[in-house]
Formats: sequence, C-alpha cells, structure tokens
Amino acid sequence: MAINDNARIFMPPISLKAKVGSPTGTLMVDPDVLKKAETAMENLRHEFSGWLAKDIEALANAFSVFAKSPTADNAGVLFRAAHDLKGQATTFEYPLIARVAASLAKLMDGMTSWDASPLPLVAAHVDAIAVIHRERIKDISNRTALVLAEELEGRVVKTLAKASQ
Amino acid sequence: MDGLRFDKLRVLVVDDNQHMRKLIITVLQAVGVRDLFEAPDGEHAWKTLRETNPDIIILDWQMDGMTGLEFASLIRNSPRSPNVYVPIIMLTGHTHLDHVRQARDAGVNEFLAKPVSVKAILSRLINVIEHPRQFVRTKTYFGPCRRRRAVAAYTGPERRTEFTLVD
Repeated sequence: MAINDNARIFMPPISLKAKVGSPTGTLMVDPDVLKKAETAMENLRHEFSGWLAKDIEALANAFSVFAKSPTADNAGVLFRAAHDLKGQATTFEYPLIARVAASLAKLMDGMTSWDASPLPLVAAHVDAIAVIHRERIKDISNRTALVLAEELEGRVVKTLAKASQ
Repeated sequence: MDGLRFDKLRVLVVDDNQHMRKLIITVLQAVGVRDLFEAPDGEHAWKTLRETNPDIIILDWQMDGMTGLEFASLIRNSPRSPNVYVPIIMLTGHTHLDHVRQARDAGVNEFLAKPVSVKAILSRLINVIEHPRQFVRTKTYFGPCRRRRAVAAYTGPERRTEFTLVD
C-alpha cells in the first residue's frame, strides 16, 4: 500500500486472478473456447436483421412523438434511440445505418433549442435508416447509400453551424 | 489447453437494449460463464448487484433513468455498495477522449466500444482479471487508478494534490 500526503493508493483486496486462473497458473484463453464463442456469435447472425428492425421501429416511434411535440425530453428520447443504433447497427451488420444514426445523434446532441427545429432533416435521417434496412444494404461501399449519408452529414454540419450563430 | 476458468466468474450485464444484452450474454455463456445476471436499467441493476455480488459488471453508458456513469459512481461511492472494487467494463458508442475521461472519473476500469466483437469482449475480461488496477482514494475520487502506467514526465493535472481521507 502506498500512502502519501495527497492520496492513498492500494491494490483491491479481491483478486480475480486467484479465482479464475487455472491450476497451472496460465492466464491463456483456450483457443477452443474462443472458437466456441465465435460460433455462438455466428449462430445469432440470423437474428440481427430482426433485432435491428425493432431498434429502427423504436427510432421511428421516438421521431413521431418528437415531431408532434419537440420538447427537450422528447429530443432526448430520440437522441438515445439514434445513439443506440449508432452503436449497434455495425455489430448487426449494417454499418451505413450506424453512420446515418451517428449523424442524427450528432444533430440531436448539438441543437440547443428546438424552437426552429430542423424537422425535415431529422425525418430524412429516419427515412434513410429505414430505406437502408429495407433494401438490405450491408455493403459499406454502396454508392447510393454513401452519397445519401454524406449529404445528410453535410446538412447536419451546416444546420449546427447556423444554430450556433 | 489449461485456460482461464471463466466458469468461476459471476458477471452482471446492464444494458437497456435487450438485443445487446442477449449478444453479450451469449458470448459469455459460450466461453463458460455460468453465473450470469442481467438488468435493463440502473435501478434494477443496483438491486441485482446487492443480491448477487458479481465479480465483473459490463455496463452500458446510455440508459434511460440512471445512466451508466451514475451507476458506476454509485457502485464506487455508496456505503450500501456490496463491492466498491468490482471491475466495471463500460459498453459504449461514445469514443471521444472527453467521454473516456468522464468514464474514468466515474470509476470505470475498461472501455468496450461498439461495435462489439468476441475478441473485444474477451480482451476486456482478461484485462480486468490479469491486470487489476490499483485503487486511489482522494478527497474527490475513489476508484481505479486513472494513470495506466507510471510516467516520469507526467505533465497533466495533479488531481491527487488534495487533502486525503485516509482510513
């Protein structure tokens, strides 16, 4: 334990190494265990699109509520739905949905007032996400989806710059 | 090969997205973790934590109600916390340096950035097992040491230059 005038620094009393380490002291992961985990993830893949559909539905519902009543609370719900998709869509094999969702999350996070709410731009993001999923565009280099994503990102930058003036 | 005994681990997964919970839990089950607990928000997680006392917590940042950061801070600082030292792996879509700092200041041990992969999950688990971090107690912070390694020429803020509450 190290003690100085300003901070007390010490090792936690509980050792996971002692609990989980093998009898021979090795801390390696068995390659078969790794393979088993990869297979388990692979077996889930057929569910990814359905999971994503539910997350997209949640986003659309959040947008519907926000469009009727653009309050800070409803903006927060929409931001979290977009942020969820930003984080999860790539795991669920739709990286361009993640990109568009990131752009939407940036817009929702960056707006300080919803008095002059850029609803059409928010709607365009929600629609783009739905279309990419409906058309099953998983390829990150899909030209049409890329152009769409870039256009939306550009408009978000302009909108946020204008809002901050 | 005689590897890590994941079957001895107790892990709590906290995420408001049921699909992400299922994915993480599926991977943990596949590597042999048997004692798995899950919670959809901070309130349920707190109850589960007190009932099960897990070895490791995998925690989403962005949740309705109590955020992951608030939950991490509660674990580290509440007198009712069953284990203030429990390793916390923060699952997040936030990757900016500011967010990393915020998580560290809340007492988080490791970051697991989305998108997640099997290798990333295992790597974070192994890190908290194999490289336990020292803990620091100052007047304003209690949690894992926020300096990953000793840097002789450290030029950052000296947050430890405070009066200390030494037990």
